Amino acid sequence: MALDRKIAYINLTTGDIKVKPIPIEVRKKFLGGRGLDAYLLLNHTEQGCDPIGPDNALIVSGGILTATCASATARTHVMAKSPLTGLLGSCNMGGFFAPEMAWAGFHHLVIKGKAKKPVYIYIHNGEIEIRDAANLWGKTVTDTQWAIREELDDEEVKSLVIGPAGENLVAFANVMTGIKNAGGRTGMGCVLGSKNLKAIACRGTMDIKIAHPVEALEYNKRFIDQITGAKVSQTQGTLGTPFIWGATNSWGGVRTENFRYNQLEYADDIEPERIDEIATETMGPYHMAGCYGCQVHCRAQYKIPSGKYKGKYDEGPEYTSQGAFGGEVGCRSAETVLAGNHLVDQFGMDNLETGSMIAWAMEMYEEGIITPEQTDGIDLRFGNDEAVLEMIERICYRKGWLGDVLAKGGIPASEDVGKNSFDYLIQVKGMANLHSDERATPGLALNIATSSRGSDHLRSRPAIDLYHLPEKVLRKIYSTPVPYDGPLSSEHTEYIGKPWQVFWQENCYMAVDSLGICKYHTTFLGATLPNFEDWPTVLYYNTGLEFTPEEIWQIARRNNMLERLFNLREGLTRNDPKKGDVLNHRYHDEPCKRGAIDVIGRYIDKEKFDVMVDEFYEHKGLDKNGIPKKKTLIELGLENEPSHML
Amino acid sequence: MAIEGKQLTGAESLQKTRTFGKVRCHNPSCMERIVPEKGANHAKCPTCGMEFRIFWVNPKLPRIRGPVWDVNKRIAQERFEQVQKAKEKGGK
Amino acid sequence: MESNGKVLLINHEKCTGCRLCEQVCAVKHDGISNPTRSRIRVMKWEMEGLYIPMSCQQCQDAPCLTGCPVGAIARNETMNRVEVDYDICIGCRTCVSVCPFGAMNYNVIDRKVAKCDLCDGEPQCVRFCEVKAVEYVDGGDVSIEKKRHAALRLSMASKQAAALDEHAV
Repeated sequence: MALDRKIAYINLTTGDIKVKPIPIEVRKKFLGGRGLDAYLLLNHTEQGCDPIGPDNALIVSGGILTATCASATARTHVMAKSPLTGLLGSCNMGGFFAPEMAWAGFHHLVIKGKAKKPVYIYIHNGEIEIRDAANLWGKTVTDTQWAIREELDDEEVKSLVIGPAGENLVAFANVMTGIKNAGGRTGMGCVLGSKNLKAIACRGTMDIKIAHPVEALEYNKRFIDQITGAKVSQTQGTLGTPFIWGATNSWGGVRTENFRYNQLEYADDIEPERIDEIATETMGPYHMAGCYGCQVHCRAQYKIPSGKYKGKYDEGPEYTSQGAFGGEVGCRSAETVLAGNHLVDQFGMDNLETGSMIAWAMEMYEEGIITPEQTDGIDLRFGNDEAVLEMIERICYRKGWLGDVLAKGGIPASEDVGKNSFDYLIQVKGMANLHSDERATPGLALNIATSSRGSDHLRSRPAIDLYHLPEKVLRKIYSTPVPYDGPLSSEHTEYIGKPWQVFWQENCYMAVDSLGICKYHTTFLGATLPNFEDWPTVLYYNTGLEFTPEEIWQIARRNNMLERLFNLREGLTRNDPKKGDVLNHRYHDEPCKRGAIDVIGRYIDKEKFDVMVDEFYEHKGLDKNGIPKKKTLIELGLENEPSHML
Repeated sequence: MAIEGKQLTGAESLQKTRTFGKVRCHNPSCMERIVPEKGANHAKCPTCGMEFRIFWVNPKLPRIRGPVWDVNKRIAQERFEQVQKAKEKGGK
Repeated sequence: MESNGKVLLINHEKCTGCRLCEQVCAVKHDGISNPTRSRIRVMKWEMEGLYIPMSCQQCQDAPCLTGCPVGAIARNETMNRVEVDYDICIGCRTCVSVCPFGAMNYNVIDRKVAKCDLCDGEPQCVRFCEVKAVEYVDGGDVSIEKKRHAALRLSMASKQAAALDEHAV
């Protein structure tokens, strides 16, 4: 049974390992995955703990449905206090790791302490072993994984690893699995590095009994047909996520040259279709790959076609790499995007944060705030492809003054650079924004400002808002499973109704993250993909647990509130420019200069934005300062946190 | 728990709203549905005049590959100048 | 019942490596999600982007059948498959060691061998494989698609050679 997967507490300082079952009451309250992680983080860390100290708790998990007969339950979630933001650190990735961990007997790991020397954890059919990693230290992401397989003499071992960036405590280092599946944002790789933990390797052959296998199999087919029938899945299965960047750039919704413009003109070479051509030329017509149990297959395989890294194999790029090594840094070359993507994959470093840091440095270089002496003579002008690739390496290995400074992450770096450098930093809560530009889309702007892990598109983005869906359709989606009769607008440039959409999406994404399902299988990019009403069936057939759609909604609200409680405990206040639910002033002060006719001149009206935040807080059950009301906590059963149930 | 095998959920019932063969103009105030000719690699929005390059994901599924840069850039520049002028007049 | 001439046809180039086939195979046969129970397994060379699903070929002259010391394995001509009679099987795993494809499975939980039974004519791996890397096709024409592709390649090659000749002058 999925429900008999266990939780392990591993102390790297002492070597102590404790294994416990996960009680059914805990499942009913939080499901698993990201939701239960948030509960564990709140319960196993003290206020103000040092993110790179031994007391930080690193939590690794799969969802409650991971590796069952449900579609696309490949997601691994990792949580800890973030070294980048000092708030919630959280990342979610695809691949094959979480299912392997489930077959090895575990759904959650809570790792504390710090090993004296580099180690890795090996989990094998219920057994946990801490092993020496001296010969792995310094290795790249893929080399580490193959070396572990060789050492364990088992090609089926799946590992979650850090690359050199994590070892060097780059504040935005990733955890990685496979070639490019990345747990990005908020520097979870840095937390592994700080614990001297190079990898977690899993191999499992333990049964996961399906509660109602015949029905589960049939329903899975129906679920999958619903997903693969959607236009967005077909597009994604052909072009991968780059199609998103392409479409957004077309109308002027990507930030370019840090934040100067909102479109990269004449970007034909990094358009998704061009990248797809390169993948076809180098890997043949069938170059799309999928994560465990997923038929959307949105991950391309490619080889770098030319230049210094010619012939290197990698996967992706995701749209984030087009943003990070294309638009943001003003580069128009597929080679740079693909090489940049390859470097961050091998180093284990967040592409978005890396690209954003370089773009930020470039704008300041052009403005004269950063001098040529500080860059060691690198000409950090926008569009300098070589400089971008050079800086990626310098950040990973903290080479030179600037490389070392940028590796600290946005806010500490701005303190080192000084002057008005903070004004140029496009961030929320210390985490860089996605490459998107939300000035024409207030709903999306609200999403990044209020997201629980800093500026983020994967926590509450109402992306379907961009499709101009008829109000009737919007209402059908957004008033299930709980009624909503407030305003809703098909206009994505509007402010009304957006707070509810963001609130609804926040709960929707929390639900999938707790179930362990990929976001591309829910109402994220497609309006007709499954959501609350569909999940109880999947859950029942696979686990035997009965929920109503309303109950799942309530669990999602509860889990989101746990993240809010953690952030508040660690210093989030509504209007703090460094730790609050606010946008960089440029969103309000600089109108869009490029893009579609009606995008030009758009900016986020500060007053209307504040009203949206008020309304969003109201929906969440928070007061005007963003602090949960007593009655909200009681309603969600969180009045006694931390409650140490697990 | 009896699962009503045939009953459609909200998301499933919306499946019939899927429209193949069309794209939407990328201009927010327009969002007009454009029906590119089969296999065409270029389409112009009949309402707002923006022009787009088209890619076919499959024979039924077109998508906008990107703007026809020279055309849309010119439209954008004109618009930007208008906005600037209006701003000056507004005394802001 | 008419003889069923259909076979499982694997085109590994199309495989996305998602292993959904493994999942549905194990659930279909054992009601359990566990790839070690699956009759079809995807072998991977990740750095080359190479994913190859491996399953029983239902060989005409099957080594497992020939090698079985107790005669537990037989050909079922109606289903066009090789099958194990568990009432006779002694679990010696000779079939596992002689299969040239590694397609005979053994799982330590049940201590039983297991192989593809084509789901009695409705293979779930095929039903769920959206990219059609695994297909269930008429054995009579199993290589016709390959012939067509190879023929096309040949014709392209000769056209290119002709074009080169023209330019060579």
